[in-house]
Amino acid sequence: MSGGAARRVELDPEEVGRDLASLVLTVVELLRQLMERQALRRIDHGDLDEEQVERLGLTLMALEERMAELREHFGLTPEDLNIDLGPLGPLLSTE
Amino acid sequence: MTYTWLYAVAPAGPDASPWQVLPEGVADEHPGTVEAADLLAVVGPVPDADFDTDALQRHLGDPQWLERAVRAHHRVVSATVGRALPVRFGTVYRDEDRVRALLTAHADEIRTALAGIADRTEWGVKAYLDRARSDGETDGAGEAGDGPGRPSDDRPGTAYLLRRRTARDRAERALADAAGQARQVHLALSDLADRSTEHPPQPAEATGVRDPMLLNGAYLVHRAREAEFARAVAGLRERHGPALRVELTGPWPPYSFAGLPTGGDAG
Repeated sequence: MSGGAARRVELDPEEVGRDLASLVLTVVELLRQLMERQALRRIDHGDLDEEQVERLGLTLMALEERMAELREHFGLTPEDLNIDLGPLGPLLSTE
Repeated sequence: MTYTWLYAVAPAGPDASPWQVLPEGVADEHPGTVEAADLLAVVGPVPDADFDTDALQRHLGDPQWLERAVRAHHRVVSATVGRALPVRFGTVYRDEDRVRALLTAHADEIRTALAGIADRTEWGVKAYLDRARSDGETDGAGEAGDGPGRPSDDRPGTAYLLRRRTARDRAERALADAAGQARQVHLALSDLADRSTEHPPQPAEATGVRDPMLLNGAYLVHRAREAEFARAVAGLRERHGPALRVELTGPWPPYSFAGLPTGGDAG
């Protein structure tokens, strides 16, 4: 956590950048989770052959690793990326 | 001009009002009582401009107004607890005569309802999926579940997806299992209560808790069984601890069990 209330008021460029990064990463993480869920459903239904499963798995795994790196770069935790949509609940699943 | 907000109904006793001082009501008014058919209604005059159908609808959409008013209603109802039927929040009549007419017209039903809640209070029990603890409980158990055709190390993508699938299945099972345990909690507590009911689970927005609510139960418990009920909740909390987080609140006025024929006619 860098930057307290005072820095926020001064609109520290670094802080603004971090807020923006957190928003963008949240959206990317949402898409990543949706893709993963869809991939698992297709495996459940036996829609994919072994090669396709492997390629999908590698892609999703790489995305997850990249997400972790980006989070670390901006000093964000997984919880920071979860937007609370009020009545709809949190944007991301917590598993 | 004013309307009449109804808080509670009690049997009439020798005193004009058995309550020395009632707290201020939903419109900061001083509630009083009206009597008919040996029944006593706790009522407060509220300005019609603020409490006619339209104004009330508007206010109900304003969380700040609503919270303040609900708390005021609850304070007045709580002051009468033990001998009065609480009336649903938002029950408004055109004037006190309408309230007297209601008491007279439904005197028998009201007396039956009063007998049903005498010496009883309401307890609320909520159970949430304890995600943190139920996850920890089964951690590691899933790794062996990669099962038939176990992917070897040269297929890391497949292994990753199968791990994710195991985690998903585990989360689904944990939720289904916790929901089943919440049923058991409800049944066990219903056995100790004179009456019980379930309210719809509240969303995270209302509770501030992210874990899903699996039980939102209300239990009407006789004073003589309160200690037993509290012990039962403690026992259930212990038994279902890994899967559920169980919260007990109360004693409340028996809001969930009042069942008055009072819809109001102004609000």
